[in-house]
Amino acid sequence: MPMNELLPAIMAFVTALVSIVATWLAVQEKDLLVAVLFSALQSTCYALIYYLLMAPDIVLVYLPVSVGILPLITVILVKKTERYEE
Amino acid sequence: MKLSDVIIGVSMAMLAVLISYLMVYGGLGPIASYSLRPLATSFLNYTYNPWNVVYSALSPEAVTAIVWDFRGLDTYFETSVLFIAIVGLVALFRGASIAQGISSRGLSIIVKTSTKIVAPLILVAGASLAFHGHLSPGGGFQGGAFMAVAMVLIAITFSIEFLHQKGLSLSTLLTIRCVGLLAIAVVSVYLLVKAVLLGGSAYIFQNMVRINSSYSMPSWFIDRPLGGALFFFNLSESIAVIGGLTLGAILLLLREEELRAVIGGEERE
Repeated sequence: MPMNELLPAIMAFVTALVSIVATWLAVQEKDLLVAVLFSALQSTCYALIYYLLMAPDIVLVYLPVSVGILPLITVILVKKTERYEE
Repeated sequence: MKLSDVIIGVSMAMLAVLISYLMVYGGLGPIASYSLRPLATSFLNYTYNPWNVVYSALSPEAVTAIVWDFRGLDTYFETSVLFIAIVGLVALFRGASIAQGISSRGLSIIVKTSTKIVAPLILVAGASLAFHGHLSPGGGFQGGAFMAVAMVLIAITFSIEFLHQKGLSLSTLLTIRCVGLLAIAVVSVYLLVKAVLLGGSAYIFQNMVRINSSYSMPSWFIDRPLGGALFFFNLSESIAVIGGLTLGAILLLLREEELRAVIGGEERE
């Protein structure tokens, strides 16, 4: 298989690994604001994977929802409750 | 804590390397195989096909054509689900309103200035996504969500009272939301009503001329393909989404003093 066909697959694989690390950190983190940031990092990785899989429409709907709206709602939730997990 | 710091650093570095690779290699070449499945061939044949308009959506963007023409009714109910969610939120927060003078200063001057630069750019990008949804990747929901993010950014940076003073009160946002949804409904039955009034036959969610029906939405705007109803659907959807998401975010952003009547129900000691 030529390199220019294999490269996007390799990049999607590595990005998926990074998103796994980010997800693990988001679950582990006791400071919930930082956990929201890790969740946003994971969403960014997913957006990159969607782009590599040639789904630009999904990228465009995923970016504002996962990096804008979802952290916003979570941060509002953290602000109205508690910042640190027990 | 040390280990997690290291992992964060490594992951950030890897992401930076990946993004720079993405910049260098541009489109990165195709990842899928060159041969298409029969369903994909059929969609690609009929998305933009001026020689066979009866089956075509006359829009160069296949996803928008599928979402709003071939599968229009599904998308309408999808939009209705979001609308029902917003209605539930409004019902929960009924009686709440934006009060003046609690803490209307907003964030610092640095954040305000940078928001003044960034927010119009996000608004324009979202508008271009929504209005070119029938030509390039994007569409009503995407553009509306982009613009809603800009509105929420303004609401957080300049405080929600700023939006209220500019005329975007809760009822106005709900009205914008309802107007967008109503416009989708009107566009979907427009040709049907026209056929009933003028004679002949037409279908619900009809876009171009179809078998047994000679009515059609406008398919060209000067020298650009308009995709008929797709442009109007995208426009209405973006209006509905920007109103709905901004309303939801502002309802969640309301402060304790404004929510006391809603939470308490009665006078408290």
